[in-house]
Amino acid sequence: MTEPTIKAEEFQKFREFFYRKTGIRYETSNRYFVDKRILERIVATKSGDFRSYFTLLRFQASGEELQQLTNRMTVNETYFLREEFQFQCLVNSLLPEIIIRKTDNTPIRIWSIPSSSGEEPYSIAMYLLERWPGINDWDVEIISSDIDTGILRKARIGRYSSRAVQYVPALWMRKYFKPVEDEYQICDDLREAVEFTQVNLAATADTRSYRDFDVIFCRNLLIYFDDLSRKAAAETFYDALKPGGYICLGHSESMSRISSLYQVRNFVEAILYQKPLEAR
Amino acid sequence: MPLIIKKNSEPFFRDERKRNRDCCSLLEGLADPDPTTRRWAARDCIDCLGAAAALVGRLKVEQDISVREVIFTTLTRMGDPLAVAGLVAFLRSEDPALRNEAIEAMKQLPDEMAPILRNLLADADPDVRIFAVNILESLRHPQVEAWLLAVIDNDLHINVCSTAVDLLCEVGTEAALEPLARLKARFADEPYIQFATALALARIGQA
Repeated sequence: MTEPTIKAEEFQKFREFFYRKTGIRYETSNRYFVDKRILERIVATKSGDFRSYFTLLRFQASGEELQQLTNRMTVNETYFLREEFQFQCLVNSLLPEIIIRKTDNTPIRIWSIPSSSGEEPYSIAMYLLERWPGINDWDVEIISSDIDTGILRKARIGRYSSRAVQYVPALWMRKYFKPVEDEYQICDDLREAVEFTQVNLAATADTRSYRDFDVIFCRNLLIYFDDLSRKAAAETFYDALKPGGYICLGHSESMSRISSLYQVRNFVEAILYQKPLEAR
Repeated sequence: MPLIIKKNSEPFFRDERKRNRDCCSLLEGLADPDPTTRRWAARDCIDCLGAAAALVGRLKVEQDISVREVIFTTLTRMGDPLAVAGLVAFLRSEDPALRNEAIEAMKQLPDEMAPILRNLLADADPDVRIFAVNILESLRHPQVEAWLLAVIDNDLHINVCSTAVDLLCEVGTEAALEPLARLKARFADEPYIQFATALALARIGQA
């Protein structure tokens, strides 16, 4: 039996379909990465060839195979305290502004997307506990989302390699992690402090209920989107934020190139973007 | 360890929708007094019959920039002939913001714009022809250079040709060398054309 292959026009067909479903666009230069994962799934589903597999992908009522493939197509490489200057900005600049504006005792809400395997939302939780005295007076909700259901399972479990925790201070390691074999298990208190949810940022039905956030971390995700999907994501975040809420992007990303809806805020620690206070 | 972060103390999945999500309600929602409702209506009506016309109609009166952005995004995502025709019509708008937003939207639609660009570049109104060249600025389409070369060979208006030459400075290849030389000769008494074509020829020659 011959090995299945993917022709150029099949790649084209697939990438248009995948873009429509997820907002993620792959270029021809990504073919090796994309082909490899599709071929793995053709074998795993016993589809035999691309044509049968694509039919399954498009018409399966449950959408289970599309989810399986999406899980494999998304990159989940990250580590604790990555781009730490933004967490410093959160505790030193953003939260003091937020509590001055607050007129009620509702929790401060933070959305971290994509969650990947949990390094970012858990880093936020640790940073709040260790570096923000206000945590004694204010409740904080941390919600973290990803399109990849497999990675969400990993995030909920919270077990990490030494590479993922290499920048975590020793004191924090002792306090929040427990060595298990050659890995590190995050403590239950932190696991329970973060709510993980599945969200496809390109699906309005998924994001509609995400509202009233004070801060959104969306770092190194929009670089995988094309211009139109980036703009749609910026508009989704606009409706997810409270007036005056902040959005933190990755260091190579700029909201100014995506949308004119936000004001640029130049803090000592980082440049962030703010939904105007007067916005409705 | 005293953990004060609370997990989901109140459900965050609150359904704040004021209207039903059927097409009729969504299109009515475009005129709701609340901008958040208008944004969501504009986002959710993407699959509704007649939505393109309703969105284009709303753009003519919409003052809230956040609602306008969402409407333009939805029209771009639709990309059907009605949506494209609506965007094209804004090239004749007297409102520069609306016009520029429409140009930005059309830049995202290379395949949909391709069949009508030749007509836009031949429009009787030189301003519309300039805006059509502006669309080409970041349109990802293999014909962009060919369209620009047709402009500099045929258009009689100096501002249209100048705009095209400025863009050829960035995207021109060897194929542009002769048309640029012809343009330089055609507008021999126009200092800007002389300057811009010399610059374009030098840049392409060095490439």
